[in-house]
Parts: sequence; structure tokens; C-alpha cells
Amino acid sequence: MQTNMKQNLWGYLFIGPFVIGFLAFTIIPIVASFYFSFTSYDLFNSPRWIGLQNFKEMFTADPRYLHSLKITFIYVFAGVPLRLLFALIVAMLLNTASRAVGLYRTLYYLPSLIGGSVAVAIMWRNIFGDEGVVNIALMSIGIDPVRWFGDPTAALWMLIFLSIWQFGSSMLIFLAGLKSIPQSYYEAASVDGASFFQKFFSITIPMLSPVILFNAVMQTIGAFMTFVPAFIISKGTGGPLDGTLLYSLYLFKQGFEFFHMGYASAMAWVMLVIIAILTSIIFMTSRFWVHYESEGGK
Amino acid sequence: MKKSLLVLLGMMMILWLAACSGDGGSEEASSDDNASEETADNGDSEGAESGDEEVTLRIAWWGSQPRHDYTLEVIKMYEEQHPNVTIEPEYASWDDYWQKLAPQAAANELPDIVQMDLSYLSQYAENNQLADLSPFIGSNIDDTNISQNAIDGGKVGDGVYGFNLGVNALSFHYNPEIMSELGYDEFPEEWTWEEYQEISQKAVDAGYYFDNGLKADVFFNYYLRQNGKRLYAEDGSGLGYEDDQLFVDFFKMVQEQVESEATPTPDFLAQLAGPEDDPVVKGEGVGIFQWSNQFVGLEDISESSFEFAPTPGPNVDQGLFLKPSMFFSVSENSEQKEAAADFLNFFINDVEANKLILGDRGVPVSSEVKDALLSEVSEAQAKVFEYVAWAEENSTAMGAPDPAGAGEVIELIDGLQEQIAYGEISPEDAATQFRTQAESILGN
Repeated sequence: MQTNMKQNLWGYLFIGPFVIGFLAFTIIPIVASFYFSFTSYDLFNSPRWIGLQNFKEMFTADPRYLHSLKITFIYVFAGVPLRLLFALIVAMLLNTASRAVGLYRTLYYLPSLIGGSVAVAIMWRNIFGDEGVVNIALMSIGIDPVRWFGDPTAALWMLIFLSIWQFGSSMLIFLAGLKSIPQSYYEAASVDGASFFQKFFSITIPMLSPVILFNAVMQTIGAFMTFVPAFIISKGTGGPLDGTLLYSLYLFKQGFEFFHMGYASAMAWVMLVIIAILTSIIFMTSRFWVHYESEGGK
Repeated sequence: MKKSLLVLLGMMMILWLAACSGDGGSEEASSDDNASEETADNGDSEGAESGDEEVTLRIAWWGSQPRHDYTLEVIKMYEEQHPNVTIEPEYASWDDYWQKLAPQAAANELPDIVQMDLSYLSQYAENNQLADLSPFIGSNIDDTNISQNAIDGGKVGDGVYGFNLGVNALSFHYNPEIMSELGYDEFPEEWTWEEYQEISQKAVDAGYYFDNGLKADVFFNYYLRQNGKRLYAEDGSGLGYEDDQLFVDFFKMVQEQVESEATPTPDFLAQLAGPEDDPVVKGEGVGIFQWSNQFVGLEDISESSFEFAPTPGPNVDQGLFLKPSMFFSVSENSEQKEAAADFLNFFINDVEANKLILGDRGVPVSSEVKDALLSEVSEAQAKVFEYVAWAEENSTAMGAPDPAGAGEVIELIDGLQEQIAYGEISPEDAATQFRTQAESILGN
């Protein structure tokens, strides 16, 4: 009994910093933001209870909000699948037993390490500038240069390219998944005369499906919360013509530029609900396409 | 088994998500907060002893690198003369500055001295974030060489909530070489908006841009003032003009300038990496409409030299006003307001300090400092002084400071101007939209 107590004490001691941090920086802010979402709060004066007014205004009286929602959906639904596809292709290339493969893995992972950083977004501004690499490449194959920062649609695509380029972390997870597929399956398939694509669709994809599910969920959540690149590339404006006004950027503007903290909190909770719904949809569809080895193939 | 695991995973996911989305907005702020809390703690612990002993002041300003450099030097100079005072600087660019200041204000952790802009002064003053400086003026802050007019620039209601650091006036900075190529040996002394468009056309014909656009909130306000109105109502509760035709006229002209290519298209401007790429700086445009204290910076980054011209008329003097370029305010939560006021006095009245500042924060308000600097300043700075002196004679009172919510109105009108320039909306529709939305922002 005595030793048991002592052991527990040590346990609490070690977990303490995390629990305190979790309470102070996660739980309390969550509760506070939930309360603020029903108030009009300008950061200076005490919050004033207005019920569902914020939520109502969002969907009925704020075209900019709906626009930012639309932009964000385009960003997520165009960016995430492309990013996963790209990650999977590279993971398969790196899964071959070529020599410098370790070096390549590191190189391809690098963009994700410096991923959301300010430096990358600034570099991106140069790459896509009027005389940047991208426009030079376009001109060399006879396509007119694009005003990446001046055209609202192009600016959004530039952000999507940036997110695709940072495929490293999902690529590493795919790579681990690929490694865990027993080589004997492929050998057996080869004996039966299966082509590369048959092997890919009948062995690789089903065996990899739990990993795909994990990546899809994580990347979707991450994409919804994208903030830094949009902030830096548009110099904080979300422009041109609100073309890069991603949800979290607009939320930030409402909270810290216009001092509508209540409205911003309400936006955060709507985003939570949207992400929760999307995540459950992905989970619900997963039983049709995710294959678990351990439960007899179900 | 599988099912319960899934449910558990799902729940964990949602919890985790809630954490993330909660962070979404506050992440930046909280990190800034932490930083400021640390410094604040230092300040408090030392400040508690107060008196003539050790004093620690926090001071915050926005600006670009040259301003940071000389401000740090001024601070060093002050610390050398007052060994008991330690000053902790916090500086940032314009955008970052306001995003950092808001959470600090919410936490009552504002630095002792904060640089303030006219468009935010009311907001911070009305929310009791700033201290009334009137009790210090005349005692800690020497006002013998400063006009009442200059001090009143920082008035909100009955109190002075920001001390004017210098004055600015709107002006046109043009390249005389290009003007003479267009056939103007001298800039027309009085020019109107019609002549503005005529000269613009000549510039286009000669292969130049005329300017790089009129910043919507600033120049629309100027245009309204020429017509005896203002952008904001005197009490800040709404717009200061009734006739939307004024909006339409002004932005039609702006639109025509873009269409005739006298002003670069917005997508061209968006593509510019920095001020160095500006067509006017590169000698591809005639001039820039901007505040007088931006003249020196323009000459610094450009190889051409520039001249001052007033803004287009008619009724230039009604349109023009002397704007306090920026203020220093003392925060209400500061525990050493007097020490802060002493520093302000040094910043405003000390000639040696102002030899470092050299009018970067606007033409000094103290006549003594102004006279002392006249022999010190560069040729470019002298032109600024000269223009502001001219503007002093040819302008009208500024009127009440911008109301709280001005920041949002400015973003609104800038957005509408962008849409007009892209051809997404007609000036007529923009006028109606601006009225509805601005009134609702200001009415709150």
C-alpha cells in the first residue's frame, strides 16, 4: 500500500506539467471560447450575451464569411487528395531498394519540416513573382505568365500547390505502411502473372487502406486550419479580392483586427462542427474501403 | 471490439480538434502574450519600488528598420542621461503591431508608452486603455514651444490621450524630369482633378504611369473635405456625407485612371514584391500621392529625385489638413505614468534626440526643435519641412479623430476600391454597399 501511494505520487508528479498545461492552454480556452461565441465581445469591454446572434449573422448577413468558407472548401477538397496522391507516388518510388534512397527520403521530407514556416511562404512569393521560376518555366513552354498574386483564382491555386509540396509527413507514413506489406504477397501475385497495376489495386491499396484513412483524416483537419501561408502570401489581407481569405485567416481578422472576439469564437466552433462532420463522414465510408488484416479481412 | 475502438478514436479526435480550433485564432496572440507577460513581470517587480530609484519602462512602436534603429539610439541616449531608468523596447511592423497590441490591451498588459495612430486613438481611448495626458502637459511635458493646435490633435472628448509627435500633410511627390518630358517645366501651382486626368493622359501617351493609385480611405476623405463633407460624422456614429454621388464621382475617376492605364492595374500592383519595385521608384511613373513624411523614404529607395506638389483642387485648403503623423500614448495600466511623461518630454523637446529622429515621425511640433533641425536636415527633409509649413497656411482643422471601428471601415472601402478596379462592381453599387456596411460598423 505504502509503495503504491508513492508510485502514484511520482506518476502524478510527472503527468502534472502536462495536465496543468492542458487545463490552462486547452480546456479553459475551449470553454471560454464556447462562452464567447454567444456574446458580443471586443476584448476591451466585458462580453455581452447575445445568444445565437453571431451564428445567425454568419450565415445570413456576412457574404465575406460564406466566401471564406467556399474558398476553404476548394482549398481542402482540391489540395488534400492531390497531396495524398503525390505522397503515395513518392512513397512508392522511395520504397524501391535503390542506393541513395536514404538521402532522397530526407530531401523529400524537408519541405514538411520547414512546412508552415514564414520563410517558406516568403520564398513562395519569390517563386511565383512576375519574374519568378514558375513564370519563366511557363514562358519557356509557350504559356503566358500568370499574375499569381493578382488573380484571385490563381492565388488560391498557388496556396494549394504550396500545400501539395509539403507532402512529406504523409509520405513517411505511407512509406511505413508500404514496408509492412509482406513481400510474399507480391511474389505470389507475380507467379500468377499479375501486372503492376493489378498488384497495385489488389494488394497495395487494400493493404494500405488503414494508413490512407489515417492520412486522409489528419490532412483534412490540418488543411482546414491552414493559416500561415495565406497570411504571409497575401500580406495579411486575404487578397486579391479575398481570393486567399481562408477560414482561419478570416477568423483571425475578425478576432484581432476588428476586435469581434465573440464572432471569431463562434466561427471557431462552426469550424469544429464542420470538421467533426467531415471526419465522421470519412469514418462512416471507411467500412466500404478500409481493410483490416487483423479482423479476418473486415 | 473494433466498433468501440472506433468510437473512442472518434471521441479523442473531436476533443483534440476542439483544442486545435480553439487555438486557431489565439495561437499567435498567446505567444505574444507570454512574451509580454515576461517583460511586464520585470517591469512590475522593479516598478513597485518606484520613486526616484529604479524605473523600468516598456515602450512599443511600429515602423521600418531605420525607425527602429534611431529610436533605439534615442532610448540609449535617454538611459545614459537617466541611469535609474531602463527602457524595454517592443517594436514591430504596422500589421503585426496592432495584432499584438489588442491582446495586450485585453489583458491590461499594455506597455507604458505606446505609439498610437489616429485611426486607433479613439478606440483605445474610449475603452479606457490610455491615460489622459492633460495633467502632465505643462509640468512633465514642456509645451512652451508647442501650439495648442498641435496638442489638440490628440484630443478625444475632453482629454488628451496621445501626444502628437509630428505633423503630416497629404501631398504629391513627383519626378520633375518626367514632368518636363511631358512638357511641364514647372508643376502647375494650382491643379484640379480635371487637370489631373489631363496630365495623366499625357503621361500615358508618353509611355509612363501617372501615379500608383489613390489610397481609398485617405483620398476619398480628402475629396469629401473639398466638398465640405468628411468621411466620418463629427460624433463618429456614422458617415459624414449624405450624397452618394460624391462616392460615385470619386471612384469613377479612380476607375477611369485604371482603365486608361494612368494607374497600374490592381493585379500588377499585387505582384510587386516591395516598394523598390514600384513603377514610380523605378522611373516608370510620374509620382505618388502620399503623406509628407514618406517623401524621404521615397527618395532613399529611388535613384531619381522628387519634388513636392500639393494635391489637386479646387478648394485645396478645405481638403488639406495637418494630421498628427502619430502619437505616443501612456497606457492607463502603467504604474509609472510620470516617468513615461518625462520620456515623452525628452522625445518631443530634446534637440539632440531630434537630431537622431530627423522628422521621421512627422515635422516636429516644437518650434524650437524645428528651427534647430532646419540646418541639420538633408535636402529632402528640408523640402518636407517647407511643404508642411506651406500646408499649415493652406489647410483647415482636421476635426474629430477617427471613430472606433475606423480600422474596419478602412478595410471595407479598400476592398470596394479593389473590386471597382477589377471591374467586379460598379461605383454606384459600391456606394450603396459602402453606406450600408459602414453605417452598421460605426453604429455598433
